[in-house]
Amino acid sequence: MSQMLSPDMTIATEAAAKSKIEVKNLNFYYGQSKALKDITLSLPERSVTAFIGPSGCGKSTLLRVFNRIYELYPKQTAEGQVLLDGQNVLDRSQDLNLLRTKIGMVFQKPTPFPMSIYENIAFGVRLYEKISKAEMDGRVEQALKRAALWTEVKDKLNASGLSLSGGQQQRLCIARTVAVKPEVILLDEPASALDPLSTAKIEELIDELQADYTIVIVTHNMQQAARVSKQTAFMYLGELIEFDKTEKIFTSPREKRTQDYITGRFG
Amino acid sequence: MSAVQEALPAVKGSRDATVRRFALTDSIFHGMTRAAAILVLVLLGGVAISLFAGSWQALSTFGFSFLTTESWNPVTEKFGALAPIYGTIITSAIAILIAVPLGIGIAIFLTELCPRPLRRPIGMAVELLAGIPSIIYGIWGLFVLAPFLQTTVQPFIISVFHGIPGLNNLFAGPPYGIGLLTSAMILAIMILPFITSITKDVFDTVPSVLKESAYGIGCTTWEVTRRVVIPYTRIGIMGGVMLALGRALGETMAVTFVIGNAHRISTSLFAPATTISATIANEFTEAVGDLYTSSLVALGLILFVITFIILAIARYMLMRIDARTGA
Repeated sequence: MSQMLSPDMTIATEAAAKSKIEVKNLNFYYGQSKALKDITLSLPERSVTAFIGPSGCGKSTLLRVFNRIYELYPKQTAEGQVLLDGQNVLDRSQDLNLLRTKIGMVFQKPTPFPMSIYENIAFGVRLYEKISKAEMDGRVEQALKRAALWTEVKDKLNASGLSLSGGQQQRLCIARTVAVKPEVILLDEPASALDPLSTAKIEELIDELQADYTIVIVTHNMQQAARVSKQTAFMYLGELIEFDKTEKIFTSPREKRTQDYITGRFG
Repeated sequence: MSAVQEALPAVKGSRDATVRRFALTDSIFHGMTRAAAILVLVLLGGVAISLFAGSWQALSTFGFSFLTTESWNPVTEKFGALAPIYGTIITSAIAILIAVPLGIGIAIFLTELCPRPLRRPIGMAVELLAGIPSIIYGIWGLFVLAPFLQTTVQPFIISVFHGIPGLNNLFAGPPYGIGLLTSAMILAIMILPFITSITKDVFDTVPSVLKESAYGIGCTTWEVTRRVVIPYTRIGIMGGVMLALGRALGETMAVTFVIGNAHRISTSLFAPATTISATIANEFTEAVGDLYTSSLVALGLILFVITFIILAIARYMLMRIDARTGA
């Protein structure tokens, strides 16, 4: 299937844009079972790409390969190549901590660290940079402003990150990710546990962030994919079925299975 | 229609009976659980009252000076609890100082770093330490650990710290082998399984997605553990430490073997000393005279109170942590 599609994998109209992440013949295994089957695709720089598909299709798995977070667990293995700026991140010599500062990740459920709002952001920055208190204050403020959270928390930076509402916590997590100055931001269903208002804020934020970052978002919500992304990948049972500009996927998909999924006939 | 009407009353009748039965069994269940809870309070009160009554003679004879007197002289019938209190607190404190870093270290290794096939064997080995009867620790401490410390470790430490102000008092000779430090080491080994297994259990409660987020911004295992896992679980860890401290304060048999049973306070950690529980265990059989017996019971009352205070402090600390994190 993907071999057949591979000529189309780089979208013609986006050819001018430099690709940030290139996935080549990626296979992924949970123990014996194969979760990703020969995935090849290329994600353009400074742009939002959405992965959609029914549960268990491998979209989150693919995301988790990009920063190799899957390696925390035994018996999960990836084969093939994932090139970040031409460098294979699956290479054994790749420093994992360095990779993860370049590729930030935000999860489905908000995961504030058990520390103050200020520290939630300063913590990650401090790991790799030695900066003064004043500079750190600036970085924290900037990150919180980026995540559209500053006005809500500026008077209680020393309060626990856990004291915020779910939507605020999620924006805190995005602020934390942004503060480390990554190049790529991976969002794994970032709004699925949030109310519509918080979701709208997150989506707005994603729209703004793509000026500076390459963003990959996994979502179950097709309207969300249509709203926020420039290109969309539809996955099914571990295969990449179709990858194209978002308008194209949602208006005139090439594959019948894509058509069926986006119109809600299965999945 | 008629079939439904016929069926309904029958169902209703049997339901009423069931509901009545449930109400009865539920109230029996309710009463039994409440009785069990009250029984604990009654027992606790009973123990406190009998300790207080038993120690009344000693307390009224010596008054407050019972707590501040070092001498313990059965011949002149002059008793003071300061030396056993000192020994109890110092041995437990040192045991905690040794066992907490070790136990947390083992827990971190087992949950974060250990290759999966080794996890269970190592975890079980640590937990088996808890199953060894304390008399065995006592024998081992007296016949193996104490001679080893006496012939190798203690002379070495004494010579190293000789002439360093402060430390030369803390580690002063002669090397007896038995004493405060030896007891503390035995206690540390005994409480290690408590700290390890509770810490390991609470580490396992950290959501993996929280750890992933920390790894996701480029943390090393050390940073994830230090800044995320331990803060997230500190309440549980504290609980484990307090439980271990309670065990260490009250441990009798193993300590009795290696403490040296000397009613005096020495600055040296190598010196023989005594603890509350060791004193009681050693001297109850030979306690002649009501005042002697009563003094021993009074020691028991003091241990009871110390344990209570420790638990109260633990509760208070946990409350403050709760308030600060807003969790």
